[in-house]
Amino acid sequence: MNRSSEQGPEVTIRRVGREDVDFVVKDMDLALANSFRRVMIGEIPTLAIDLVEIEINTSVLADEFIAHRLGLIPLESTLVDNLLFTRDCDCDQYCDKCSVELMLSARCTTDATMDVYTRDLMVTTVSQYNNYDNNNNNNLGQPICNDQEGKGILICKLRKHQELRLKCVAKKGIAKEHAKWSPTAAMGFEYDPWNKLRHTDYWYEEDANEEWPKSANCDWEEPPRENEPFDYNAKPNQYYFTVESAGSLKQHDIVMRGIDVLQKKLAGIIFELKVLDETSEKSRLDTEFQGTAYGQTPNPEYNWN
Amino acid sequence: MEDEVEEQSAQVLDPTKFKILPGASEDGSAASFQLMNEDHTLGYSLQYVIMKNPEVEFCGYSIPHPSEPKMNIRIQTYGKISAIDALESGLDNLIDLCDVVEEKFIEQVNSGNYKSEEP
Ligand SMILES: [Zn+2]
Repeated sequence: MNRSSEQGPEVTIRRVGREDVDFVVKDMDLALANSFRRVMIGEIPTLAIDLVEIEINTSVLADEFIAHRLGLIPLESTLVDNLLFTRDCDCDQYCDKCSVELMLSARCTTDATMDVYTRDLMVTTVSQYNNYDNNNNNNLGQPICNDQEGKGILICKLRKHQELRLKCVAKKGIAKEHAKWSPTAAMGFEYDPWNKLRHTDYWYEEDANEEWPKSANCDWEEPPRENEPFDYNAKPNQYYFTVESAGSLKQHDIVMRGIDVLQKKLAGIIFELKVLDETSEKSRLDTEFQGTAYGQTPNPEYNWN
Repeated sequence: MEDEVEEQSAQVLDPTKFKILPGASEDGSAASFQLMNEDHTLGYSLQYVIMKNPEVEFCGYSIPHPSEPKMNIRIQTYGKISAIDALESGLDNLIDLCDVVEEKFIEQVNSGNYKSEEP
């Protein structure tokens, strides 16, 4: 096939932060670049709290409000591939093979307000997939506490004698179903920072160049010359990605798994195509010899192979 | 075709995932396909990569209704290859492209040739 360059796309990592990675992809088509963006936001499986059984909630927040907050907590998902989707599992609602259980139990006994943080959530599933390392938090379903004090996210506050006791079931899912499963907190995507392609139209009062700040990526491309004619054959060629992790997966993991998810989708269709090929071939042969294959009528739409 | 093939390999077979829509030409050079649970993520890239094939005259995709998780893709070739072959080689090419990007990304990560902020 014709690629824009013999070697195919080029990748340059510009910066790696604590939770983000900034990279540039060159010599690729906008279609594929956008597929990467979409797949990284929406289709990488992670773990998130999906069911909450509230035993006691005497806090000021309503049950469903707390359940929603719990759902949005990022959980360690590096080993999520070891879990099944519940829809593919044999169980009725959830089990060890498709979920991780977490418990939260907090009661305020002092006059001071008590803060309940995500670090108070305890993973209770003793799963074969959890490699309980003593010093790291690589355990599947462990709430991510990346702040300086390691407390994590504030779930709710309790006054004296208020209590919160609940059980959470975290399940594997993708962000296409609910955004809580997205591994990305933010996804930066830019091309053509000088707007030479005119894919965007800047609103302005007097002068767009004066009123709009330049993109940081402008340094990576040639500015347009004075009175440069519009090149209607030009196509975008360079893409600036910034992948910021929500915590459930490492930033590099998000990029690599995103590509893997896309490849699995493609491979899945090739597989279906092959099966279709075989079955139609088989049914064609079978009709020649003994009528219909296994009591099925061959598909008349597909007999030209 | 629906229940003709039972699950026989490690990969779970979904007989409703892929189908050929009515409106294929006699010789197979033009056909429309329907993919379940796919959207622009796959559609646009697939359309692009299939159109890159010099044997392909036309390729376009559409999502007929936003509430239905279906993606239709139409392929017409100049007649030397069948539409289904064009689709298959398009899928193969996209997988190769993904491979290259992933390879280059891992290469870059391992080279450590970038600015980094220590946690
Ligand atoms: Zn299960």
